[in-house]
Amino acid sequence: MKKLVAILVIVGLAGAAAGWILTVPRTLSKMQIADLPAGDPVNGELLFWAGGCASCHAAPGAKGDDKLLLGGGLKLETPFGVFVAPNISSDQEDGIGSWSKVDFANAMLTGTSPQGSHLYPAFPYTSYARMTLSDVTDLYAFMTFLPSVSGKAAAHELGFPFNIRRGLGLWKLLNLSSEPVVSAPAAGSDVDPDLWQRGRYLVEGPGHCGECHTPRDLMGGLDMSRWMSGAAAASGEGRVPGLDPESDIGSWSAADIAYYLESGFTPEYDSVGGEMVSVQENMARLPARDREAIAAYLKALPAADAN
Amino acid sequence: MRKLVLGMALVAVTSLGATSVIAADDPIEIRKSIMQSVGAAAGLGGGMMKGEIAYTPAAGKAVIAAMNSSANSFGSFFPEGSETGDTTASPKVWEDAAGFKAALAKFSEATGAAMAASGRGGPADADAFKAAMGPVFGSCKSCHQAFRVKK
Repeated sequence: MKKLVAILVIVGLAGAAAGWILTVPRTLSKMQIADLPAGDPVNGELLFWAGGCASCHAAPGAKGDDKLLLGGGLKLETPFGVFVAPNISSDQEDGIGSWSKVDFANAMLTGTSPQGSHLYPAFPYTSYARMTLSDVTDLYAFMTFLPSVSGKAAAHELGFPFNIRRGLGLWKLLNLSSEPVVSAPAAGSDVDPDLWQRGRYLVEGPGHCGECHTPRDLMGGLDMSRWMSGAAAASGEGRVPGLDPESDIGSWSAADIAYYLESGFTPEYDSVGGEMVSVQENMARLPARDREAIAAYLKALPAADAN
Repeated sequence: MRKLVLGMALVAVTSLGATSVIAADDPIEIRKSIMQSVGAAAGLGGGMMKGEIAYTPAAGKAVIAAMNSSANSFGSFFPEGSETGDTTASPKVWEDAAGFKAALAKFSEATGAAMAASGRGGPADADAFKAAMGPVFGSCKSCHQAFRVKK
């Protein structure tokens, strides 16, 4: 009996140790950090809009220059609880003004905070992880120029077990990857390879389109077998349309998609609505070529289950 | 016999009347039909702005007038109780009634100004039409952002 207890204790300890090791918040390697470039704020601004930072971190409904005031506060009501977008302005105390370039790159690419704990994936680092280090440091350079906004946003309201950040380590092992989602354009699609690559980068990386347009599994991870096939809205009610050729916008031409992202109007002249309004207004700030790239990628998406 | 015919005609008229009364009593159907008219007008207007459809002042005026009558009447068809059913109206229409009213006012102001700018015959050319329609098109998404839910 004593032996059994001892074995159980050892197994338990080993399990706990394995769990502890598996859930360790990971960060960038020393080699990656050594390679960090200086950062170009001009390209950083493009990534700021492509990445949709203001859609969650500026005040809800902010227009014009108010989109550069990143005090946070937007609430995302999800099945796991309420996530509140934090202050990511350049404020030293309440924002991320004290973060180093390495801190910022770790948050964006590994979902790990400067204090070494896991960030919740309501912050879509699962997509941002596909960004290049150089683009991330460009974004950092741009954001240091943005105004400081004082005041911390409210804390997340999460129930057990989602309030235990350490547990996210396992989730990240399953759901965090810097690999592209789609390996090649759909067979038979006649698309300029450079344009397609740029589109894939923008959609799968900074644009984080899949975070809303792809359904999630029970644990909140994206179901990659149904990439871009549309999903129930994660926050609020309604449905987010699919973007693959067999879904809601399958009949749109690439020019229709690019025009929608620029103007906010569908081919039938219905207007963009809901949370997509802010996304569309961000996309309208990109160079026309980038909107064409996004459209080219979407038109060449393989059927949802073919990935 | 004549009485019978008359009676049948009366029945036909009343039942016809009854169906149209049902439709008129259904605010969801009415506001949908108003938005269909806005959508069709936007299709014509947008086509002319893009140059896909040749611009004429009369067509320009028809677009603006359809938008204007819709903007002025649309808000009257959101009574309490019409939030459920086959509708894409967000619950916020009723929760934030003042905000919804303000969004509608923005739409009416834009269409009213476009009406005033278009004169008797309609905006003279495509550029004048674009200038008049810009704010009208701008008001679509600010309302759809907060007050419509796609299902």
